[in-house]
Amino acid sequence: MALPIAIGLLVAAEVLPAACVARTGFVGELGLDGSVRPVPGVASLVAAIDADRIVVPAAASAEAALVAGGRVRPASTVAEVVAALRGRAPWAKVASLAAPRSAVREPDLLDVRGQIVARRALEIAAAGGHHLLLVGAPGSGKTMLATRLRGILPDLTPDESLEVLRIHSAAGAAAIGALDARRPPFSAPHHGATEVAVVGGGTSWLRPGEISLAHAGVLFLDELGEFPAPVLDALRQPLEEHVIRVRRARAAIDLPARFLLVGAMNPCPCGEGSLPGTCRCTDVMRRRYLRRLSAPLLDRFDLSIALGRPDVEDLLGGPPGDSSAVVGARVRRARALAQDRGVRCNSELRFDAVDGPSTLSPDAAALLERRLRSGTLSARGLHRVRRVAQTIADLDGVAGVGERQVAEALQLRAARSALVPGVDQ
Amino acid sequence: MTDSPPFPDDKALTDEQRYGAGLAALGAAPGTLRKFLDGYQPAQAWQAIARGRHRADPDCRYRRKAVPATLDTVVAGVLHSGVSIHVLGGPDYPSALAQDRQVPAVLFSTGDVAALEGLPRAAVVGTRAATVYGLGVASELGRGLARAGVVVVSGMTPGIDAAAHAGALGADAGAPTVGVLGTAHDAVATGSQVALRAALGARGAVLSEIPPAVHSAPWWFAARNRVMAALAHVVVVVECHHRGGSLHTVSAALARGATVAAVPGSVRSPASAGTNRLLVEGAVPVRDVDDVLTAVELAVVGRPDIRPPGPPPAPGRCTVGSSPPGPLAPWHRRVQRALGQDPATLEAVVRRSGLALGDVSVALEALAEAGLAECEHGW
Repeated sequence: MALPIAIGLLVAAEVLPAACVARTGFVGELGLDGSVRPVPGVASLVAAIDADRIVVPAAASAEAALVAGGRVRPASTVAEVVAALRGRAPWAKVASLAAPRSAVREPDLLDVRGQIVARRALEIAAAGGHHLLLVGAPGSGKTMLATRLRGILPDLTPDESLEVLRIHSAAGAAAIGALDARRPPFSAPHHGATEVAVVGGGTSWLRPGEISLAHAGVLFLDELGEFPAPVLDALRQPLEEHVIRVRRARAAIDLPARFLLVGAMNPCPCGEGSLPGTCRCTDVMRRRYLRRLSAPLLDRFDLSIALGRPDVEDLLGGPPGDSSAVVGARVRRARALAQDRGVRCNSELRFDAVDGPSTLSPDAAALLERRLRSGTLSARGLHRVRRVAQTIADLDGVAGVGERQVAEALQLRAARSALVPGVDQ
Repeated sequence: MTDSPPFPDDKALTDEQRYGAGLAALGAAPGTLRKFLDGYQPAQAWQAIARGRHRADPDCRYRRKAVPATLDTVVAGVLHSGVSIHVLGGPDYPSALAQDRQVPAVLFSTGDVAALEGLPRAAVVGTRAATVYGLGVASELGRGLARAGVVVVSGMTPGIDAAAHAGALGADAGAPTVGVLGTAHDAVATGSQVALRAALGARGAVLSEIPPAVHSAPWWFAARNRVMAALAHVVVVVECHHRGGSLHTVSAALARGATVAAVPGSVRSPASAGTNRLLVEGAVPVRDVDDVLTAVELAVVGRPDIRPPGPPPAPGRCTVGSSPPGPLAPWHRRVQRALGQDPATLEAVVRRSGLALGDVSVALEALAEAGLAECEHGW
């Protein structure tokens, strides 16, 4: 039974005077033992209730308080609610949001040895919001790198934080428990996940999927080639519109899904891929492995790089690169520059805006023109390269986009064409 | 029948071609088909079988099929798919095959069969389940051979065969390439096979001994191998498994005295187990197209009817387009040295050169434009 109905019955039976419940909202479920149990989506429900005080399950009081502040009244049993409503006992204190993640150290980029190119790509991805594809043999550090992306992303804005909170609240207590309200979320569904689990939906209870749980954060798809093709193709709309429109027979919802996509995969089933002579995969096996990656999906990756296994010398104490804190500061500076252009990050730049603030240097334009004429760069690829080049320029702290930035942007998407020969740049 | 789509006039076919196709459609093995035509004109042979009086068909096994309906079906198929019919002994039968012991008595073709007359021919064959290495080598050999004026013969199947054909078609100029099908010309095929057949029809020829509108049987693929072996002066096996089908082609080639060559592969790669064994057994090792050209030259010595292969193609990679390569700065050279011979990841190039990623990128673009570097499975 729901708590509001129970209270309604009590009022109707004149156990509770009607005056006690004036301008009071109730959220929660009632157990058979009289306990008030949390329901999913408390944060959104509380935000929708126009009342002076809102009684919520004690377990969900922290998230409710972030939305509704001092109007929240936690309760753990129905007896407690009745007593407090009659003024015979004080309301319980609002619990503070547990922050389990802050106890665990966020993985730091310092742990990554070598991998100059991959580290650079990670930094560009974070600064410009460019989707990143990592292709490399097992043990080349794809997962290690991807899990460190969150650490170099800037903190959420208060608005974003609230959005994230409401999505995670709607997904249930387990999701909210793993959330650190200020930091961007990180979601890494296994490739066995169903389409509903990834994009959202469900029969009786429409639940946000992993892509919405990654809203304003990072969606990491390890073993990209192993995901079912429908799941991968379902990503195309949110990647484009930052929203997932879940349509089911009995319900339809739009859920926010603006995430930074990081894909990781082996170059071929055996994983030895590009190294000549070591790969034992036949052409048929390779094609079957890559078949699920449609060209439109691969097109969404602004950055795609091939990873080799790190050198032994690097692993046994080579010079460490910059720490996440140092890289994160550079990312924040670059994002501030993008915000001056009126976008959250450079991946959202419109083409007219790319033409606007910083024009291409003559030799950069000449390089792009030669690539366009030789057919190794498509019109769509051109805009992506220009956005990435803008991010590189922002990170380098140079005013205009020059040949260096454009050449680097071109290089950092080259791995994609090696993967699927049909895909142009 | 007035509403049926108009077929081209079957008067275009001579009686010899009509009955030749009909005999092939009876479903006899190649040897039996040869006996049907031994001492008979095609029309006579057909009549004899239809009456149960042919000496090669004493049990009248083929009498039941030798009816006008069979003839009509195959003629319709021939006209519909636009293939030409060549009957052994006819003027347009390819002379390259005519002398063979196990010659197909009736041959169906698209493209220009006469184009392969007088040219040296090399079969480039191998497994369907090829690796990237094998596909690369097959394509490279196909291109090099076609440029040097050697007809590339192969089997049209996906894998090594298709890569060899594609390589030969990719040569800017040179000899035609010939595909030998193990199915009829109008058999169901995948999109890439259809495209390959069309390309070969335009620049080369496609042969099959199975009439259109007749279903193939798996053993035809083995029979097809003898046609490739009979056509080729040299048979190059690029990749082949331990007991791969390409070994049929090899034994057929050995039986005809053709040279057998094989591309060595990794001793750990199952796709090279067959080729490496061929090398142990004395096949000519093939490192590049020059090795094949030498073998072809030796194979056609003393054959004045065959033009020897032309000069080997210029070594190194082809240069890109006509754009004049800009001057290369010393640090471009440094990046070029860092590239090495094997494909390298961007990471490796950055490390070896010791330059910043931005500089390496600019240099790689310049090198690629100058045709000195190539991006394919890494730089």
